[in-house]
Amino acid sequence: MKLLRALDRWLTKGETALLVLFLGAMLVLAFAQVVLRNAFNSGLLWGDTVVRHMVLWVGFLGAAVATSGDGHIGIDALTKFISPRVKAGVRVLTNLFAVVVCWYLAQGSYGFLTSEAEAGSTFVLDVPVWVGALVVPVGYLLIAFHFLVRVLESFLVASGRQAPPATDVRVH
Amino acid sequence: MPTFLVGALLALLAFLGAPLFTIIGAVAMLAFGAAGYEPSLVAAELYRIAINPTLVAIPLFTFAGYLLAESKAPVRLVNLARAVFGWIPGGLAVVALLTCALFTAFTGASGVTIVALGALLFPMLLQESYPERFSLGVITTSGSLGLLFPPSLPLILYAITSQTSIDRLFAGAFLPGLLLVALLAGYGIWVGRRARVPRTPFRVQAAAAAMRSAVWEIPIPVIVLGGIYSGFFTATEAAAVTAFYVFVVQVFVTRDLKLFTDVPRVMRDSMLLVGAIFMIIGSAMGLTNYLIDEEVPAKLFAWVSQFISSPLVFLVVLNLFLIVVGMMMDVFSAIFVVVPLIIPIARQYGIDDTHLAVIFLANLEIGYLTPPVGLNLFISSLRFERPLLDVVRATLPFIVILLAALMIITYVPDLSLWLVRVLGVQ
Repeated sequence: MKLLRALDRWLTKGETALLVLFLGAMLVLAFAQVVLRNAFNSGLLWGDTVVRHMVLWVGFLGAAVATSGDGHIGIDALTKFISPRVKAGVRVLTNLFAVVVCWYLAQGSYGFLTSEAEAGSTFVLDVPVWVGALVVPVGYLLIAFHFLVRVLESFLVASGRQAPPATDVRVH
Repeated sequence: MPTFLVGALLALLAFLGAPLFTIIGAVAMLAFGAAGYEPSLVAAELYRIAINPTLVAIPLFTFAGYLLAESKAPVRLVNLARAVFGWIPGGLAVVALLTCALFTAFTGASGVTIVALGALLFPMLLQESYPERFSLGVITTSGSLGLLFPPSLPLILYAITSQTSIDRLFAGAFLPGLLLVALLAGYGIWVGRRARVPRTPFRVQAAAAAMRSAVWEIPIPVIVLGGIYSGFFTATEAAAVTAFYVFVVQVFVTRDLKLFTDVPRVMRDSMLLVGAIFMIIGSAMGLTNYLIDEEVPAKLFAWVSQFISSPLVFLVVLNLFLIVVGMMMDVFSAIFVVVPLIIPIARQYGIDDTHLAVIFLANLEIGYLTPPVGLNLFISSLRFERPLLDVVRATLPFIVILLAALMIITYVPDLSLWLVRVLGVQ
């Protein structure tokens, strides 16, 4: 468990670093495109496509980081009114379900990737589509892993081996 | 397993708090499987929507909003608004409504407004001897006010989901948004007069000083609103310019935020929200296409039309339904799950797409305040350390006003359509 938690933290740090890098690059590139288009009536041919793929990367990396902080959107109508330990028990169930779904989503998107690789389609210059979409299966796998660590943590709380977290009203 | 059992199980998981994107994803994959398609098609749909040009606006606007919220811009904007509107009776209440609406438009009613601005405005309101219950109500209500103003994230997401023009939505939602603010401001002025809140006389010098200190923030609404409404920028271009401008101003000009410590933190915080939204988009798109292929909206309409024949009655039922949706779901999930189903039905009743969008979002705005699960109630209760019931009681008069506004919005379609016609946006 200790090892898993360390890996979880370490991965989150890596994801955050990549996220910052991509968002920063996207910010500059998107602005440069507007300036080029409006002031010079030109623009980088590959610019818009690259920006859109960066959004894909930023979105998936953000979702991975959000998973470590229980930041996903869900209906929390009922769970607001139950005791922390029962809630942790419920979390074991819901997060386990999330692990399974993300695993299948990763599998499905890997299938998409391989079919694109076989088709040999390219999204920009000579870069194949599968490179741009690589973040989809990898992202789902990372999210599945973070959910798995949440399952184990909730299990520890539910079985009374660990104190429940202090507050959990989510503010994005 | 029979279909209804699977459905019941998934619904149970959803109500127990399973992340909504996993529920939608599971439904999409099961539906694709049952129809004999490859599950990789879900990913193909995701990839197709991910490279939608309008989507670029979401991370950029959200980042800009979070940067503003983390800098000292809220203090400067509140000071400016006070110097300009402080002489009105109930002026500070009006200031609170206006500044909160502006921030919510950027950050999408996700709690940031109450946390960033409420903490600033709530003590100010108490200090100016507004009744405590009223002050709590204003701040809680303001947390979702502004949903109808550009560049509100729910508006952008609605446009993407419904595949309608974002410019049309921006134009259509503006006047209804103003109506909500105006009615609430009227109530604020009335309370301010009754509580004999001291009025600060208007002083040119003070106003000029406040304007000078906020001189870098004043152009932001001009870039966003002016750029979009004049047609000079697309929503995506406005997002790129706004995000870059706010970044440069807050980091290099006012130096409120440090490049290597604050900026990465704000980037991370803002992209958590974007990531959470993105996951829902990812699974919802596959599901939506499946539902449309299976003609589910048409079947729903056939069923509904047995009971309802008049558009007026349909709108009443729609409002009741949407308020319940708003009580259970947050605005983002509701958009992806509910919008694809109700749009084809509303069209059958002859309701304009833009009008429907405004009704939808106004309802969800109220849903943020309705017990038992309105998000704003919980954030306020936690942030200001007041019992949940006190917060509920404090927001009741505001809910009544918002419901009245909703009636006007619903039954005066021209409020939503007039500006669209005048600006001639497509």
